[in-house]
Amino acid sequence: MNTVLDKFAQAAQRPYEHVKAWKQERGVKAVGTLPMHFPAEIIHATGALPVIVQEMPDAITSGGGAMYPFFCGYTRSIVDQVTEDQLGFLDAIMFTDHCVQLLSAADVIRISRPETTIHFHQLIASLRQPWSLESSVKTLRELVADLEEVLGVVVTEEALRHSISVFNENRRLIRDLYQMRRTGQIQLRASQMQHIVKSSMVMDKETHNALLRELIASLKTSTAPRSDEVAIFVSGHLCHAPRPEILDLIEDCGATIVDDDLYTGYRYVSTDVDAGIGDPIVALATAYIRKNDNVPCPTRIDPEVDWEEWLLGAVDRCGAQGLVVLLVKFCEPHYFAYPRIKAAFERNEVPHLMIETEHDGVAMENVRTKVESFVEMIKVQRAARAVAA
Amino acid sequence: MKSHVLGIDFGSTTAKVVILDEDGNTVASCVSQKGAVSDEGVRAALRGAFEQAGIDLSAVVRVVSTGYGRRMLDIADRTITEITCHARGARALVPEARLVIDIGGQDSKVIALDRSGLVARFAMNDRCAAGTGKFLEVLARAVNVELEDMGAEALKAEDTVAITSMCATFAETEVISLLAEGRPKQVILAGVHQSIASRTVGLVGRVGKHDPIVMTGGVAQNIAAVHFLEKALETRLIIPTGAQIAGALGAALFALDDLRSASKVKRDDDDAVEAKLEQLLADPQRCTPACGKKETPVTFKG
Repeated sequence: MNTVLDKFAQAAQRPYEHVKAWKQERGVKAVGTLPMHFPAEIIHATGALPVIVQEMPDAITSGGGAMYPFFCGYTRSIVDQVTEDQLGFLDAIMFTDHCVQLLSAADVIRISRPETTIHFHQLIASLRQPWSLESSVKTLRELVADLEEVLGVVVTEEALRHSISVFNENRRLIRDLYQMRRTGQIQLRASQMQHIVKSSMVMDKETHNALLRELIASLKTSTAPRSDEVAIFVSGHLCHAPRPEILDLIEDCGATIVDDDLYTGYRYVSTDVDAGIGDPIVALATAYIRKNDNVPCPTRIDPEVDWEEWLLGAVDRCGAQGLVVLLVKFCEPHYFAYPRIKAAFERNEVPHLMIETEHDGVAMENVRTKVESFVEMIKVQRAARAVAA
Repeated sequence: MKSHVLGIDFGSTTAKVVILDEDGNTVASCVSQKGAVSDEGVRAALRGAFEQAGIDLSAVVRVVSTGYGRRMLDIADRTITEITCHARGARALVPEARLVIDIGGQDSKVIALDRSGLVARFAMNDRCAAGTGKFLEVLARAVNVELEDMGAEALKAEDTVAITSMCATFAETEVISLLAEGRPKQVILAGVHQSIASRTVGLVGRVGKHDPIVMTGGVAQNIAAVHFLEKALETRLIIPTGAQIAGALGAALFALDDLRSASKVKRDDDDAVEAKLEQLLADPQRCTPACGKKETPVTFKG
């Protein structure tokens, strides 16, 4: 088991080295995408390796001069990666918008590195309009045509259907792991789950699926009830990974993270593409519209889904006793949503703790005291309720 | 022989020790100022407390530690954060407390208590020392005033000046500039305390203001900090006797819970507590009268 987990960890910790080695070994092209809403199945169907551009932990240097310091760490990091020539191994970068800061990043990258092949497609943000699906289908068809031109290939419906099937299997296998963790059948740390999901964003999907199957077969399962002292749901980090040290710190403070809506977590695997829909592009567009029901995204406009209400339900469903919000500094969509989340959790008397994270790191001892206090608070409240009952 | 419990608050600038007997009576409390999480400071506080209590090391059967150095003490049976301990200690000192403001050496915390006295919410400073005891220490040095005189000096000012920097180091630069402009020290010090008050009010806003408000921690002894905070919050603060040892008292009360839940049965490893205490106190550097400031035991029964 450790060997498989080690492979996931290596790809997650050194994603670009993994992609470079894969390209060299297989002689394939690699196409970078921004996170969240880009249907990477389309890149996979071209035969190229889809790679979600990751935040790197390095200090932001030349890229810092091209962006405002009050842009989020992920945006500044990817601009820095381009200006520091770290993304030259990608044959193209495909952008779809998900926040205003990344729109700016696309422009900065275009201006500062005109030789970089960048394509920009804007998926409709408003998900419940009568024309939302049609608009998404149109955008995705343009995207396919663009990719065909860039890579000099033709994307067939058959290839797309195959890619959807491979991606669906990947999502299902990871969701199976999530379900086993929720019920206490397996003991994987949150940082290990992050490695599994993050590696899926840069590894060949068939290879990743094979490793997942191997991992699931090798995991020791238990039928005993979950033994965690305080079960926690972690929310936030909508488009990149929180530092695994923070997840470890939370679990070292007497909590077990049983579920999450992190991008490098359940959010990434929440929604399958319906293989029963005849036109695979329509199927991909439908999944884009529908995934907000499964895990709401504050960058999308959806009057029928409230993230805070969904979170209250999600915390309850997984048996968590509290919510930890990991809020990325200067993440405007999350800043917009957080006050409603805070109010909803206070109104419903569900314990919650907000930790603001940033690219340059956080004061870990300060965070440790907050998390330990949060865990103690939940334990004392739980004991008081037990006495009262 | 009565069993006793120890609460140790191993803070960033001071070490505080409270000893309770098995009936919950406070038999000793001691504060020692020895710099950042200093072993010497803990030893001094422990020696002072044992001398005050007049008990043998073997009488101590449970130890709970709190504060930034809480995990450094292997004599502790368990560690509990200063947020939980200050809440417990403050509630013991002021049973009607609904909000606790604890401004310590390195951080400041605001803790909302529910009607039964349990922690309901809390907020603490995140990234900088602005609004903490360290902030006062740095600026006392900049203005060349003794830390313990800062409060009284600040209250002499008829005016104040805004200290806007969010960072203690930048605030020091700002203060030096104000001194260079010829602003009176008292006015600058009033601004420094006003700045602490405004930071703390921000934390209060995050958890909600609930009266009565109790202030604990070392900065509660600073009359100007209390004055400006009361002004900013438009309410009176309760500063209990023993405000600085509230965290250690809370830790001792948790140790007492542990002792009582163990039905006063002597544990197999009770002797280990004595051995570890002996080892800690056996340091060749003897305590001097200056390093352990004894406090009058607070009137409390757990």
